[in-house]
Amino acid sequence: MSEHITGIDYQTALANLRSSDLTMREDLPPQDELLRRFHPDYQDGARIKLPIGPNAGDYCHPELAKLLISQPLINDYDLSGAEHLNTDVLVIGGGGAGAAAALSATEAGARVIMANKLRIGDSNTVMAEGGIQAAIGADDSLQQHFEDTFKGGHHAANKHLVAQMVTDAPAAIRWLIGLGMTFDLAKGENNNGHLSRKRAGGTTVPRILSYRDFTGLEMMRVLREAVELDENITQLNRHPAIELLSDEHGRCVGAILYDLEKRRLILVHAKSVVLATGGSGRLHLQGFATSNHYGATADGLVMAYRIGAKLKDMDSFQYHPTGVAHPPHLAGALISEAVRSAGTKLVNGLGERFVDELLPRDVVAAAILRECREGRGVVWDGQVGVFLDTPRLIAGDPDVLNRLVTLGHIAHKCGVNPAEEPVMIHPTLHYQNGGIEIDGNGESCVEGLYCAGEVTGGIHGRNRLMGNALLDIISFGRRAGAAAATSGLPLKKVRGGVGHVHNLQREMTRAGLVSEVKAPVLYPNYGKFDLREHAGLQEQQS
Amino acid sequence: MSNSLLTLTINGHEVHASPDASIIQAYAHADNAITANVGCMGQGVCGSCRCMIRKEGEREVRTALACETKVEQGMQVSFIDYFIPEHIQYYDITAIGDGWNWLEDTQKAFPEAEHCRHCGGCNRACPKGLEVENGVAQVVAGDFGAAADTFDQCVMCNLCTLSCPEHIRPNHLGLFARRMKAARTLRPVDLMRRLREIDSGKMKVEFDGELAS
Ligand SMILES: Cc1cc2nc3c(=O)[nH]c(=O)nc-3n(C[C@H](O)[C@H](O)[C@H](O)COP(=O)(O)OP(=O)(O)OC[C@H]3O[C@@H](n4cnc5c(N)ncnc54)[C@H](O)[C@@H]3O)c2cc1C
Ligand code: SF4
Ligand code: SF4
Ligand code: FES
Repeated sequence: MSEHITGIDYQTALANLRSSDLTMREDLPPQDELLRRFHPDYQDGARIKLPIGPNAGDYCHPELAKLLISQPLINDYDLSGAEHLNTDVLVIGGGGAGAAAALSATEAGARVIMANKLRIGDSNTVMAEGGIQAAIGADDSLQQHFEDTFKGGHHAANKHLVAQMVTDAPAAIRWLIGLGMTFDLAKGENNNGHLSRKRAGGTTVPRILSYRDFTGLEMMRVLREAVELDENITQLNRHPAIELLSDEHGRCVGAILYDLEKRRLILVHAKSVVLATGGSGRLHLQGFATSNHYGATADGLVMAYRIGAKLKDMDSFQYHPTGVAHPPHLAGALISEAVRSAGTKLVNGLGERFVDELLPRDVVAAAILRECREGRGVVWDGQVGVFLDTPRLIAGDPDVLNRLVTLGHIAHKCGVNPAEEPVMIHPTLHYQNGGIEIDGNGESCVEGLYCAGEVTGGIHGRNRLMGNALLDIISFGRRAGAAAATSGLPLKKVRGGVGHVHNLQREMTRAGLVSEVKAPVLYPNYGKFDLREHAGLQEQQS
Repeated sequence: MSNSLLTLTINGHEVHASPDASIIQAYAHADNAITANVGCMGQGVCGSCRCMIRKEGEREVRTALACETKVEQGMQVSFIDYFIPEHIQYYDITAIGDGWNWLEDTQKAFPEAEHCRHCGGCNRACPKGLEVENGVAQVVAGDFGAAADTFDQCVMCNLCTLSCPEHIRPNHLGLFARRMKAARTLRPVDLMRRLREIDSGKMKVEFDGELAS
């Protein structure tokens, strides 16, 4: 995205902003054309057809395709000395979906091992600010929630999954409250009053429930505590999963973990597995900065594809319009949609508005990219973006920073006094719309492999509404955990290996595909992690 | 903005970093594999980048979140790993009674809390500047509402737990109060009504002639 930046230098742009009367440019192309020409998903080189595997012939982002069709991190030889563990349910990934699944699995009587790459909670879930959707208002209904979600996703979602999720929503909130999560109440009301509701882009009524502007933190710290205090859940922090295990019938019966502390491999055999590894923002697709946490590197998709799970919409990502563009070291950090809802305008380097700020995320993001591409962006220290005009917002509503606590916080980190200077923003890679195909219980087409959360596809179609991801992880996390707890073979009969990996490699050979890439990558490339080196494994010629 | 790099020590490694970088970014650009002590990378909410820092020319060691702290020339940084202490008491929020026994429940789950010596160690440790010590006293006194406010912005970095000589685990005590308050008293009327409408079959989703069950 930053090959040759042209634009208006910061000082000039600032002067333009200050003298501007904020006229709106009139030349925004129709939405379809705008998206086609400027949205990252539609650019040349943003999708290719997968040559082999369960989705052969389907579109996928090329960077992701490289990981899906790649070499494994380990081979059979490396497994000879590995330790073995057994459990009823293995949960991989300790964000909100994984925690909900683990808790629901033990509620259903299972013993659980939870494997985390980082530490439980270090995830996208803890970072969520805005809130969670649930249709509880008297002016709202499950039907409206269903329709908003389906329409918001460009009619590409699986209707059954959407209907089930929106129907689950009120019970999901009740479950969270039961675990001790707090939600904001309507102004002046007490604990028996009404919940406070906010409006999300693309919805017909206010439906977002939240806790201040750190809903994810409130949710995750409660879920994490509940998991850590559950004696039927064994926590393995800093134990990334690097491959799933399959039996001779192709069922998923566990996973191979890498213990970062002891630098050794562990084979976990389980009656069933819940994969909840989250998204892929840290792959920095097309060079984009990201709002995601450090561990969001698509590991789940890679492992699932190898074992034969079908994916969906692997060429569809959400770019949030307002990521930080300057200073460079904060690039990608999220500025919440609430700032635009509060009335902040987007302004290009010429001092003009160019889009209605409250249109859907994909449209606003494309409009910003258009300004940048056509030379009307603001350039500063090699970064390009447009202005988020906070000074005018604050001048008109001096109290607003009390409501938008995080805006003040992030502006401060950017070295900006938001009452005086605008924040410079650029779209940031935010969410993976697609993922593993699941049924209503979160089961993939591979028997024994359940999936929940951002790693799955089909719920949000090709564009997710704010607040539906947090709902998705609780609704499907709970369903997947409960279903996993009551399925699978007796543990004695479970024996797993990595035969499925060899199958995919044979397919690669037959198709004449060569790859040097090793996946899952586990950490972004600047993490400089090499598993074989770290574990002291010898390179084997196979 | 100056382009000259600063030199600091992180986990024993010499690292060069731009003056604008946070510690976590400096670390990320250093030459070792990063597999821990990083999560949200700058939002300051996950609490995993907890570290001790000593500034050049100062004797005092203080605690911080590395992603919220800028590098300085000559700074020494050590990250602190996350662990679950062995002496924790397990409690099950769903099994705790009707709310009349909060004080007993608290004492059972956190027997050490009454032994607070008011040394202020937890306050000094808190990178978010919370009044942790006060919060502990509030829970012990049964004032769960006040304690819930005190711990409102806690990111569960566990630094106060590490620093407490009485093994009180102040942040977990605070979270206990927050959880109890919500689980026992939050009963939103609109949510209750909607749940009833759904459970009784009065409200459901319909599409394409098929009913969602
Ligand atoms: C900044 C930000 C703000 C957001 N705001 C909102 C909002 O307001 N409302 C909303 O609905 N949604 C929001 N979202 C989206 C939402 O937070 C996420 O989609 C959702 O929390 C994902 O949950 P998850 O459990 O699927 O994944 P995560 O919470 O990301 O958890 C995945 C976990 O799996 C671990 N993992 C990854 N690979 C492996 C491996 N190989 N082995 C073991 N563990 C692994 C990860 O380290 C991580 O801990 C936001 C997202 C971001 C980034
Ligand atoms: S109260 Fe304790 S756990 Fe919470 S932020 Fe402060 S030091 Fe960290
Ligand atoms: S560190 Fe422990 S003993 Fe000291 S004031 Fe805090 S809670 Fe009390
Ligand atoms: S990395 Fe999350 S608080 Fe610093």
